[in-house]
Amino acid sequence: MFSKRSVITYVIAFILILLLNFLLPRMMPGDPLTAIYGDEALVAMTPELEAELVERFALDQPLWQQLGAYFVALFQGELGYSYYYNAPVLSVILGRLPWTLLLVGTSLLLSTILGIVLGIESGWRRGSRTDRTLLAGLMSLNGFPDFFLGMLLLIAFGVILGVFPLAGALTPYSGLSGLALLLDVLRHLFLPVAALTLAHLGDSYLLTRNTMITVLKEPYMLTAKAKGLSQRLLKYRHAGRNSMLPVVTRTGIWMGRVVTGTLFVELVFAYPGVGYLTYEALLARDYPIIQGVFLMVAISVLVVNFLIDLSYPKLDPRVSYAY
Amino acid sequence: MQKLLIPAVIVVALLAFPSCTAETPEISSYTIADSTGDWGYPSPYTHYSRGPGYTRMSFIFETLVWKDASSFIPQLAEEWEYIAEENAYIFELRDDVSWHDGTQFTADDVVFTFDYTQQHPYQLVDNSIVEVAEAIDEYTVKLYLTRPYAPFLQDVAGTQPIMPRHIWEGIEEPEKFAAPEAVIGTGPYTLADYSKEHGSYLYKACEDYYLGTPVVDEIKFVRVSAEMIPAALKEGSISAGDIPPEVVSEMEEAGLTIITAPVAWNAKLTINHHRDPLSSRQFRQALAYAIDREALVQITQRGHALAGSPGMIPPTSDWYNPDTPQYEYDPAKAIRLLEELGYGLEDGYFIRDGEVLELELLATADFKEVGQFIMQQLEEAGIKIDFRTLEAKTVDAKVEAWDFDLAIYGHGGLYEPSILKRVIMDEGFNSARYTSNETLNQLLQAQLTEMDSEKRKDLVFQIQEVYAQDLPALTLYYPKWYWAHDGNVNLFYTMDGIASGVPIPLNRMTFVE
Repeated sequence: MFSKRSVITYVIAFILILLLNFLLPRMMPGDPLTAIYGDEALVAMTPELEAELVERFALDQPLWQQLGAYFVALFQGELGYSYYYNAPVLSVILGRLPWTLLLVGTSLLLSTILGIVLGIESGWRRGSRTDRTLLAGLMSLNGFPDFFLGMLLLIAFGVILGVFPLAGALTPYSGLSGLALLLDVLRHLFLPVAALTLAHLGDSYLLTRNTMITVLKEPYMLTAKAKGLSQRLLKYRHAGRNSMLPVVTRTGIWMGRVVTGTLFVELVFAYPGVGYLTYEALLARDYPIIQGVFLMVAISVLVVNFLIDLSYPKLDPRVSYAY
Repeated sequence: MQKLLIPAVIVVALLAFPSCTAETPEISSYTIADSTGDWGYPSPYTHYSRGPGYTRMSFIFETLVWKDASSFIPQLAEEWEYIAEENAYIFELRDDVSWHDGTQFTADDVVFTFDYTQQHPYQLVDNSIVEVAEAIDEYTVKLYLTRPYAPFLQDVAGTQPIMPRHIWEGIEEPEKFAAPEAVIGTGPYTLADYSKEHGSYLYKACEDYYLGTPVVDEIKFVRVSAEMIPAALKEGSISAGDIPPEVVSEMEEAGLTIITAPVAWNAKLTINHHRDPLSSRQFRQALAYAIDREALVQITQRGHALAGSPGMIPPTSDWYNPDTPQYEYDPAKAIRLLEELGYGLEDGYFIRDGEVLELELLATADFKEVGQFIMQQLEEAGIKIDFRTLEAKTVDAKVEAWDFDLAIYGHGGLYEPSILKRVIMDEGFNSARYTSNETLNQLLQAQLTEMDSEKRKDLVFQIQEVYAQDLPALTLYYPKWYWAHDGNVNLFYTMDGIASGVPIPLNRMTFVE
């Protein structure tokens, strides 16, 4: 099903990404030593300590040697050692990843499903009061950046009403376990998920609605209607399914940005995710972490791309005949 | 999916040491918040090289001497003395101290620590100061210095965490040593949990601590975003945290206790004194007269700062020289000085040899308001300013390569005058790297080795005068920092900062008595 040519394309893309991934952080101004130790007045940066750090971070090696070492380590499944966190990159990222996945997964699922359902309903009833209200409401929500919605929600429900926690992914050292712990995690998850969902709901809603309107004019819709199918079948199986292609693409693109897309929301809610990690790593010029995160992003984009390629023919068999 | 996550949430609990479980605490739990959270595993080689990292480590590891709000106090050493003729310090150690695993603490551990740092420098202590450590008997240690070093108690004896030989001997890569044994110290607390991703720490009181059971049973450090710390304090979910100056009165009304640190940090106008026309001392003085530092504090810092002294040492410090030239705001004088240098005003700007006097001013976004204020004032004085905000590391790199005219910068460490040499003479982007005044060079060197504190004070006074005359950089202001807490324990700022100068009110002794 997958041609040799597209496999080669993926491999070339992957290698190019690895190269860029290695070079880009090193082209930024500033070096890790000054970034981590530079503006700290308390550090006793003796020439000896500096020499040891340079050696430890392998900053004294020429670029091509660093690159070689990076590739060798990569094929052994090692992502390197973080300068700032003083820990293996993989373990630093893996510690954060479940939280980001939880946050992004939940909000992506909610915003996509809600968006599709609302889009179908809205498109079906184009011009009605429901349609106009939804369109105006979701369009304006779509205009807000996610972190801004996050701050509004946090101030309203966290600070003023005090019904949701102010920071973090759980209450540290609360001694909770089992169901109580799960509830605690969900309570912390609610506001950031709400912010992300509301901010991104508009995208999938608008896409579905637009396609829905076009699809409704297709001759097969008339045929289906003539067959006497129920409204639910018409709406969801015939029109709805055909309106989903652009949304699937959008969702895919969004998934590729899983890590970086939540950065601001993670900052607002002090949520322990990969986005916040990226931000810190950029500030500290922690090359190994930056490389590790970007590699993960690149891989997820490639994988998602691949999955979308696979899912298209299932959603719309005509895609298979396109070549 | 959530169910799968729960195991990931529960971070590996560390070994609890049987000798350290408190029974009757006065306060069961105390929660401290900060916006970064993770400061590294609280062991000497794995905590991050910043003040908060050191602070977290200092609840577990102790030093030979320590400080309270006003003076040096005994810690692992009961008494100490400087022997000038041998250039050595002799320390009489306590004999009732044991490590958290029950092993007795002796002079051997101190000797080991200083030997170990010779191969593995500890990031906050200059390991070239102590030449050799020698155990005189089981509880007496003598440290021979390589050169007289005035701030020895502050920077070495009061900062170097003492580590147990029986654990660290044979550890080749201490920066990767993050086992439970790596947090065995002699301090009042042991680490019960640390989570890197949540940025949280849990400490348990050590019941048989040699100075008595700590008053707080559990100390928690949690991560809360800076904007939410005031709300969390009001709500009572945290006990203490740093707050922005704007909410001080609101916090007081809410019944919280506010404390403010003696200023420790300064924002500076860094001047490229290698480049014409900034290489002229008179030109730099004209800049100082053209900037109203009092107005700068009122406008850009909304009054929550002290105006800078051109001698860098803040007026609140014991080391401050009141005779330092101050360059009171005087734009007319600035114009006169520039005219003397051959500049003529034309259409509001100074011109010399047909060229408009134009300078580039660099700053990070954090200093945007300060930069705009300075630009406005210098423009009023007839100097055209090209103000650019750049990302921090780009500014660092440009300043380090001398590729700038003016830049706004900041650094801390103002408690101890040894900072003067580092930020005036030494290499590094936050140093003025000014070495062309031989008198200043000698004074900076001399104050570091003068063991007599009165004589040293005199040298530091002279430095401020010379430095303020030459102006290789101009201190603009010292921001004020505030902490709010619930008053359950009496938080205080340590004299000259914790250890070598950490301006955070989390001295472990607060939690002991």
